[in-house]
Parts: sequence; structure tokens; C-alpha cells
Amino acid sequence: MNTENASGAYLQVRNLVKLFGDDRAVDDLSINLAEGKFLTLLGPSGCGKTTTLMSIAGLHTIDAGHIQVGDVVFTSPANNIFLPPEKRDIGMVFQSYAIWPHMTVAENVAYPLEIRKIERPEIDSRVADVLALVGLTEMANKLATQLSGGQQQRASLARAIVSRPRLLLFDEPLSNLDLKLREQMRVELKRIQNEVGITSVYVTHDQSEALVMSDEIIVMSKGRIEQKGGPLEIYSQPVNGYVSNFIGVANLLKGHVAQVTGAGRGEVEVVENGSRIRLPCILGAGIGEGDGVVLSVRPENVRAVREKNGGAHIEGEVIQAIFLGNCVDCRVRWGNFEWKILSHPRAGLREGDKVYLSFDPEHTLAVQP
Amino acid sequence: MSTETIAATVNRSSLSSRLRRVMTQESITTVIVSLIVGVAVVLPLMTLFVSSFLVLDDQGFDTTWGLENYRILFTDRIIPKAFLNTLIISSGSTVLATFLGVSLAWINARTNCPLRDYLEPYNLIPFFLSPFVGAIAWHNLAEPQTGILNVWARNYLGVEGHLLNVDNIYGVIWVTGIFFAPLVYLFVVGSLRRMDPSLEDSARTTGAGLLRTTLTITLPLVMPGILSGAIIVFVTSAGEFGVPFKLGAPYGWETLTTQIFSKAVGDDANHYLGSAMSMALGAITVFLIWIQQRYIAPRSFTTVTGKGFRPNVLDLGRWKWLAFGYNLTFIFIAVVLPIFCLIVVSLHPVWTGEILLDDMSFDNYRKTLFFWEESSIKSATNGIINSFILAFSGATIAMILSLVVSHMIHRTKGMGSKLLNFLCVVPIGFPGIVLAMGVLVTYIQTPIYATLWILLLGYITRFFPYGQRNISAVMLAISEELDQSSRMAGATWFTTMRRITIPLLKPGIFAGWLLLFIIFLRELSISIILYSTGTETLSVGVYYLSNYENEALTSALSMAQTVALLVCIFAFRRIAGREALTV
Repeated sequence: MNTENASGAYLQVRNLVKLFGDDRAVDDLSINLAEGKFLTLLGPSGCGKTTTLMSIAGLHTIDAGHIQVGDVVFTSPANNIFLPPEKRDIGMVFQSYAIWPHMTVAENVAYPLEIRKIERPEIDSRVADVLALVGLTEMANKLATQLSGGQQQRASLARAIVSRPRLLLFDEPLSNLDLKLREQMRVELKRIQNEVGITSVYVTHDQSEALVMSDEIIVMSKGRIEQKGGPLEIYSQPVNGYVSNFIGVANLLKGHVAQVTGAGRGEVEVVENGSRIRLPCILGAGIGEGDGVVLSVRPENVRAVREKNGGAHIEGEVIQAIFLGNCVDCRVRWGNFEWKILSHPRAGLREGDKVYLSFDPEHTLAVQP
Repeated sequence: MSTETIAATVNRSSLSSRLRRVMTQESITTVIVSLIVGVAVVLPLMTLFVSSFLVLDDQGFDTTWGLENYRILFTDRIIPKAFLNTLIISSGSTVLATFLGVSLAWINARTNCPLRDYLEPYNLIPFFLSPFVGAIAWHNLAEPQTGILNVWARNYLGVEGHLLNVDNIYGVIWVTGIFFAPLVYLFVVGSLRRMDPSLEDSARTTGAGLLRTTLTITLPLVMPGILSGAIIVFVTSAGEFGVPFKLGAPYGWETLTTQIFSKAVGDDANHYLGSAMSMALGAITVFLIWIQQRYIAPRSFTTVTGKGFRPNVLDLGRWKWLAFGYNLTFIFIAVVLPIFCLIVVSLHPVWTGEILLDDMSFDNYRKTLFFWEESSIKSATNGIINSFILAFSGATIAMILSLVVSHMIHRTKGMGSKLLNFLCVVPIGFPGIVLAMGVLVTYIQTPIYATLWILLLGYITRFFPYGQRNISAVMLAISEELDQSSRMAGATWFTTMRRITIPLLKPGIFAGWLLLFIIFLRELSISIILYSTGTETLSVGVYYLSNYENEALTSALSMAQTVALLVCIFAFRRIAGREALTV
């Protein structure tokens, strides 16, 4: 395996394999990330995202593959290379923040610089700078135990970036915060990462975090990559039912392609409890006539009306309608299938109503099952 | 790191780079410590096992292989009786200690007994003191002729003969039970205190009364703790040497430990027969500890919810004064009375049963403590110096070992960690006297025999698990990410240990160190097997005085030891706080 920087990417993970006993926690995973970009590994717990992060950090050894940042090979079992974590020059923000309770905030943040044997005056000025950046100047001499969750989060970030590392790693850093703070910190984190411009890898199971913060998203399941791409791409063009379901709520129907009508367009036939319908839609890559597919429609892209009008439609019955303020969350029964629909409050749907559902072909996706 | 150095590293994908991957600071330390622990724990037990099959001939010169030693265990005139006595004493003191421990823990943790916060530290004092000294005190309190209580009963109550007699198997049960009650207390009080009060409240709402709720809800919920405590008391009683030596053996009530002692030292010493007896005692205790670790300890926390609420306590109404009186009585019997007795007896030139104010002096303390004086008794004064040396160095070495071992078990999680965890439980299964026999037969031919080193080795091997448990308890409460983030910040393993791990573990390290210091300062059953002239310890000094001098001198040294221990307990409470102790 060659070690020079062939692909031009900054962070390169090639064919990473990590075993826990017989269990393949990470199975042949590859990442290429350009310098300064923000990558999110997204997936449910146990999908291997944290294991991947720990492997990059060097807190786990790997069983096969190659990890490299810039010119520096972090690990490559085939070549007997394993750079210990402390030599990798990485900043990391942990789920528990891991702020050392026996030190003040300033001492916590100064620690990586002391380890690097930097002169005291420079340490002081850099600590002050970075504390200002995260908005903790006032808390510098407080003990870590006196901080709130959000403040510990900021201190942890400050400690991770103060040494201007090669790479920043985030292990579900917002999962211990309450909802409101989480939304606020998302934006803040992204702002700071933009400002310092350090290449970052972020692990989360929260798809909205991933969508808001990332330049690139990798959706993982069972140690493998399901899809990689930009946030918009992942959300609007999920390659399969798993991604579509994970990245947001979607209605997923099994069917087959009845006809290809143009480049990337076609009609899918769905059979449900005796009724049969053909829906025009966008076809995912590599899907041809006769293929079995999953039709994916997001709740906000289903139109439900009480009067029948033209075009392909489905007839169903509202079995649940929950008013959420800006929309109504409805369940509509169609045979044995339950549609999830977000309708406008003005449509005034109620339980027991008979409704007609229609779909915009531009937002109806046929993906691989 | 530049591109060239990487290329160089890659090209050297040979033995040296492979070695360099393996030879990290962490793995080197790990391997060394595992080897030390492995050798220290396994070697004496192996030798003990092998020695038990060596049969000494009648002249006492030659040995042959065989099962003769084990046959003697059943056919000897005394040993089977000693075996039975051990079982009776252990059962009896377990029942007594469990009853006292559970009732006191319940009163302190779950009721509105007056002043309970002030009573608690005194309930725990016997745990830290020496049961051997307790036996000496109770001997002077309730010996038929000269026991203070019996003299008073004759003088003031007009009792004929004597009221009490502790110089028999019941006395052994009495003193052992009282001194080990705090052990059960410690096993139970934590879960009682953290128990979700709504469990009891919901029983009360169904119409169950106070007694019924306590018996059907509260106690069953802490049953794993009670059983654990009871098993530990049984095992500790079976291995206890001092109490039966003082109150049982001289009056015809031999136990396994007093028999092992007489086979290890004395005129008819037969180490091989002693080994076989140790194996028999060890088999019982290991089996019980195995049951406790395997089946009972894992269930201990299932009833406890993690929420940090302060539970509501039960209002006992008028009965709370009864609870208060009960608790005071325990402290009086277990702490106040014995210490009072030691002081009184130690001030007399010779103890006759009568308090003679005119004869009182500190002469006994001069003879036993002032090692610089000509008239001092060397066995006693040596003991003081040796015990402080052993306690200080032993606790320090044991805590360093414990720190690395705990780190390996809870952080490294490598192949060795399971094995190491097992090795840390093994010494707990063997009474001190059994392990000491193993150490004796292993090292008797080596230069460390008859030095303080062999005592140090025995102490550390037997008791470092207690230090390890104290550190582990704190380590489990501290997130691993605190260590990891230091590595990510660029610090090596050693730097991380020095700057992050050890400072965070300080409370656990201090608590463990002090606990070991206390245990070593009062240690008897290992010392009695391994000491020789010049390497007496404090408790061996007490033994010497009790055996060859008089009760007054014995009481003086006992009192000195008790004072030293009380100072340590005070320090322990100040540093370790309420529930930092892990047993």
C-alpha cells in the first residue's frame, strides 16, 4: 500500500476494518475529506461511527486499513505503523466534555500547550484568545465543576482548538445538552469551526445536527457506509430506504418500475391491498425498468385534499390528526399502509375524513430497496 | 513528522518497529506489575498446595509424598474438634454480627433515631480496632475471678461465684460477633441509604404497617448486601486467630487457626501438616467467597436507583428512644467498656480484679513503649517500630500496585485484565494465616526469611486488594474520557497518570492508604506465622506480653495500639468522608 498523498484529500481513511471479537464494528470504510471541511458521521448507536472516530484518534487500534492526515500516516497495520494518540496532534471534544475537575478552566485550556512546552507568556495569550473566541473569558479562573453544561462544552472546545491541531474530532458533543441549548450550540460550534478553519470530523445520531453543520455527511449502518454526500443531497436524494428513513421521516412503499419515461424519470407501480397505482417519480441511479424499488415520499411532500381532482391519486381515510401549530400531523390509512402526512392547518383535516392524496413527481423518489 | 521519517518508519516494518509498537510505557508497566502480582499471589498458594502432600517422617528429617497429612486431619485427637469449633464460632458470630449490623444500619439509615449522624462513626470503630485486643479487654472484664464485671457483681449485687465467663467458645463468638458487626453494617448501610423511598411508601399505602414494610420490603431489597456481609463475616471469623487464641485455646477450645499456629511454630512444628490444615481452611473460605463474588455481589445494586435523593426516614414515634438506647448500648459494649478496661488494667502493676487508686502508675507504658530505656521489654518496643515501618512502606507499595492494577482492569481492558481482576479477588478468599503459611513454606529457605521483607510481602499480598477496591470505586466513577482527552491533548501515558489520573483519584488513594495503614498496624494472623526474634510487630508484642508477661503490661501495649488506631480512624474520617470506604 502506498503512503503518498495520492487522492489529494487531507484526511484519508482507506478500507478501515475494526473487529470486536467476531463482530465487524467497522467494515471496509473509506473516507476522503478536503482540508478545512466539516464531515459528519451519522447513524444510530452501534453503527460504527464512534469506533471510526476512536480509530482516527488512536484510542483504538485498527485491524486493517490505513489512516492518514496530510503527509502523516496515523496508522497502517500492514506496515506496522501506529502513531500513539498523543503524537497525532488532534483536538477532541468528548461526549462528557471531559473537563478535568481538579483544574480551572484556564488550566484545562493551557494543558495542551504546556505539554507542547510552549513559553508561559505565549500560553497565557493564546488561552485568553481562545477563551474569548468561545465566550468564556469571565470563567477563566472558575473550577470546571462550577460550570454549566453549555459552558463545559465551550471549555472543552477551547481546549481542543487551542493547540491549533491538524484535525478536530467531536464525539456526540451536544447530546448531553437540553434541546434549546443544543440548537444554539450547533450554530456556535459551526461558527467557531469556520473561524479557526480546522478540518473536523463530527459524530452524531441526530440528523438535524448533521444537516445544519456539515459540509459532508456519511450515513452509516452496521459498520458500512450507506451514503455520502452534501446535506441537501442526502436529504433530497437518499439512495435507499434506510438513509431516507434515518435522515428524516419518510413514507416508504415497495413497488416496481413499470416504465422508464425519460432520463432518470419513470413510473412506479405500487400494489397495496388490492388497489394498484402508478406514480410518476424520479428514479435513483442505476434503476431500470422492472426493478424492485422503494418509493420514498416525505410527509411534507404529500398533498391531501377532500375533493378529488386530476392526476394520479390515492384514496384514504384520516385515522389521526394532531395539531402541531404550524402544521397538522396526520396518519392516513390506505389499505394496510399508513401514510405520514404534514398538512396545512387551513386544510382542516379531521379524523374520519375521506381524503385524496397526490404527489409531486419531483419529490417522489424511487430508490434501491 | 515529515514525509521522510514516515517513509523510514514504513521501510523498517521489521522486528524493531514491531517491538516499538508493543513496548509502550503503558504495556511495559502493565507486564511488570502483572508479573509481580501473579508471582506474589500464585507462588505461595502453589507451594502450600504442594507442601500439603509432603509427609514428614517420625524423626522429622525426611519427607515422602503422600496423603498422610490429610488423613491426620480426620484421625487426630484435636484437629477434628478444632474444625467443628471453627464452624460453630463462625456460624455463631455470623448470626450475632448480622443481627447487630443490620439493625444498627437500619436505625441509622432509615429511621429518625435521635443523634444518628453522631452515632454512626462510633458504630464503625470496632471495625478498625484489633479483635485480639478486644478479646484481651473482654478477658479482663469477664474472667470468672478477676474480671471487673464479675468483681462488681460480687461486691455490689451480691452474686456468688461469677456472673459472666468469656473464657470459652461463647466468649469467642461474643467478641468476634461484636467486632465484625460493622462489616455487615458497611455492606448494608449504603444501599439502605440510597434506596428509593417510594418503594417503602407504596407498601405503606397498601396498608402494611411499619414492621411489615420493613420485613417484607426493606430487608429483602438489601438482602444481597446482608448475605455478602454475612459471608464475609463467616470467612473472617474462620480465619481469625487472636480471639480464639486468647479466649478459646487456653481453655480447651482449639480452632483451626490456633492449631495451624501450633504446627507452624513451637516444639512440634510440622509445616507440612500445617499446610494441609491451611488447605482445608482455605477450601472452605474460597468456596464461600466464590459464592459471594459469583452470585451475590453482582446483584447488590439491582435494587438501588441512581437518583441522588435524600430518602425520607421512618418516624418511629416513641420507639425512637428505644432505638437510640439500643445503639448507645452497642457503642458502650463494643467501644467504651473495652477501652475503659484496658486503661484501668494497664495502670496497675499487677491486675487482681480490684481497682487500687494508690497503686496506679504509668510504669507499664514505660516498659512497653520507651524503647530507649534499659528496662523496656524488647519484644514490645521492637513491635512498635517494626509495625510503623511495615504499615507505612506496606501501604505505600500496595497503593502503587493497586493504582496500576486498577488502571489495567478498568482502563486498558486488555487480555490480562480479566486474569488480573481474578488475582485481586483470590487473596480475599484466603485467611491471613493460610496465606502466611504459604509464604512461610515458600520463602523459608531464602534470605528474606526472618527479615521484615517476608512480613511486608505477606501483608501486601493479602491486603492489596482492599486498596485496589478503594481506587477502583473512584475510578469507575470517573469518566474514561478524562484520561483520553489528556492523550488527545498530546500527553504521554506517564504524564497523563501524573497530571490527570492520580490527582483525580487522590481521595480513593488516600482512603485506601489509610485503610491499609490501619490494617497493617493491627495485623496479627500473618505476623504470628512469619515473625522471628527482632521482627516482632505490634500485635505480636501484645501476644508476647499476654503469653509470657502479665495482663497489666499486655493492656498497656494494647492501649497504645488502640490509641494509634483511633488517631488513624479520625484522620480517615476527615479525609475519606462518609461513604468512601469500600470493603
